[in-house]
Amino acid sequence: MSPQTVGIIGFIVMVTMIFLRIPVAIALGLVGTVGYAALNGWTQAALVLGRVPFTFASAYDLSVVPLFVLMGSIARHSGMARELFQSINVMFSGRRGTLATATIGACAALGSVSGSSVAMVATMSHVAVPEMRRAKYDERLALGSVVAGGTLGILFPPSVMLIFYGLTAVQSIPKLFAAGFIPGLILAALQILVVKTAIWLYPDWAPVSPRAPWRVRLQASAGMWKLLCIFVLSIGGIYAGWFSPTEAAAIGTFSTIVIATLSGSMTFGKLVEATIESGRTAAMLFFILLGAIMFSYFIVQTQIASNLAAWVVSLHLPPTAVMVVVVFFYIVLGSFLESLTMILITVPVFAPLAQGLGYDLIWFGIILVGLIEVGMIHPPMGMNLFVLQSQVPDARLGKLYIGSAMFLVANAVLIVLLLAFPQIALWLPRHLY
Amino acid sequence: MKAVFASISRCATYASALFLVAMMMITVADVVLRAIFNLPITGTYDLVQLFLVGTVFLSIPDVFLRDRNIVIDFVDHVFGQRAIGLLKLIANVFAVAFLGLLIWRMVPPARDALNFHEVSPDLSIPMWVHWALMLIGIGLTLPAAVLMLIQSALDFSHPQVIPPQQADL
Repeated sequence: MSPQTVGIIGFIVMVTMIFLRIPVAIALGLVGTVGYAALNGWTQAALVLGRVPFTFASAYDLSVVPLFVLMGSIARHSGMARELFQSINVMFSGRRGTLATATIGACAALGSVSGSSVAMVATMSHVAVPEMRRAKYDERLALGSVVAGGTLGILFPPSVMLIFYGLTAVQSIPKLFAAGFIPGLILAALQILVVKTAIWLYPDWAPVSPRAPWRVRLQASAGMWKLLCIFVLSIGGIYAGWFSPTEAAAIGTFSTIVIATLSGSMTFGKLVEATIESGRTAAMLFFILLGAIMFSYFIVQTQIASNLAAWVVSLHLPPTAVMVVVVFFYIVLGSFLESLTMILITVPVFAPLAQGLGYDLIWFGIILVGLIEVGMIHPPMGMNLFVLQSQVPDARLGKLYIGSAMFLVANAVLIVLLLAFPQIALWLPRHLY
Repeated sequence: MKAVFASISRCATYASALFLVAMMMITVADVVLRAIFNLPITGTYDLVQLFLVGTVFLSIPDVFLRDRNIVIDFVDHVFGQRAIGLLKLIANVFAVAFLGLLIWRMVPPARDALNFHEVSPDLSIPMWVHWALMLIGIGLTLPAAVLMLIQSALDFSHPQVIPPQQADL
């Protein structure tokens, strides 16, 4: 049996195991080990498996993951999300649909401290949904704005997904962070446009909020200083050359703790809770990474990625046509697979393909994260939909699906813009480096 | 039995949290001292790597005990409760098999690190310390997975109504 055949069988078995509820980490690790043994013998496979955990002992850059997870967790536990939502709501008061706009604005701003989409939806569903329900917002708009806004967390720096993409595709994390910034702003603007269009078509979906005086609005804008400080310190520091992304994660987390404590919103109990929760999340993510490393060793041995890239190049298809097929592939895959799993199992195959076609892998990372966002709000299997359902158990499924489908237009436009104008993602990193 | 093991696992989780805080503090101290006094802390890289291992591996048992592994539960909408119970049981068998295999194969390189006196580049921290943390983490995870396997076998043999799961955050 050729290595390619073993690879294809391994891939099918691994996906089947994942769909049959085998934990992703276990499926990746077991198939990776058995597949590696099938190609190189058991002794070699056992040797490689035994040394995989040591990857974490020699990967200083990986420390960025638990630290950024902790930063987001502290921001949530200290009530920064609620404060930010209320500030934006007051600042833009007097218009129709302010609460939905504030939800997206708060998600965009919170994205600068929390790199997790799931955590963002969980937080905002408690903060924004009750407020919008009280104000008699239509459920479609209320639920849709929360699930869609949540996706902004993985495009704005620091994004856990971009970090994992960077580690898997061996790309610069600061460049990826910079590349995600403008698409993140565009997506936020597009989502606000969806809100505005929806309430223009159906004015009864969102009432006009009472107008706050300018003095109150200015006071409310001061409520954003915490996040601004954290963002300027942690992300700004990377580009100012003060410290590396790993150090930025530590500085950002530390400053979040200090600011939350000084403003009286952080207790010792909450800090302990946030730290334990972050350690657990990091362990969960790294255990998947452990399985994925073993699986990627196996995939490298099969030479599937290089053969696929060579085959596609030999077809002499226009690169854009190939990329459109890749985009559709990811949209379908995103309907079934969890985002991190999608990155870890597909990047070893598709990144060499994209590179072979002459695409910049920084741009490809942003396209990939954009597609993951589609998968997260894509009915019926989007992860953000499940999270919102679990946090708001009385949310009507039909309304949730319509609400999220409405916002998919914004994501689709972003993908088209990125395909047509790669500079949207590449301008800032090229300008900064 | 499960309660005793849960306490041990909780201790490991607290240790993991301490490692995480230590990782943050050592980096902040290094950056501040370097920026203000031009006095970076020697061996920050070595310490961060050690603390990262502690953070990650000592929380894995708790992830298993709380059933927090990422699972694609697409089939929950397709199959009945009994079939799902069987799939959970099979998943736990695979988990025990993988963890058993992993810990068994981790022992030889850990022994090599001890026998050949491998050390970290800056502070010469013996690498067996890293291996020890990894072995403790996976070593505690294996019984956690066995407990989950026993639990899923009991659930499968005595089916009952299972409350809807909370979202895994």
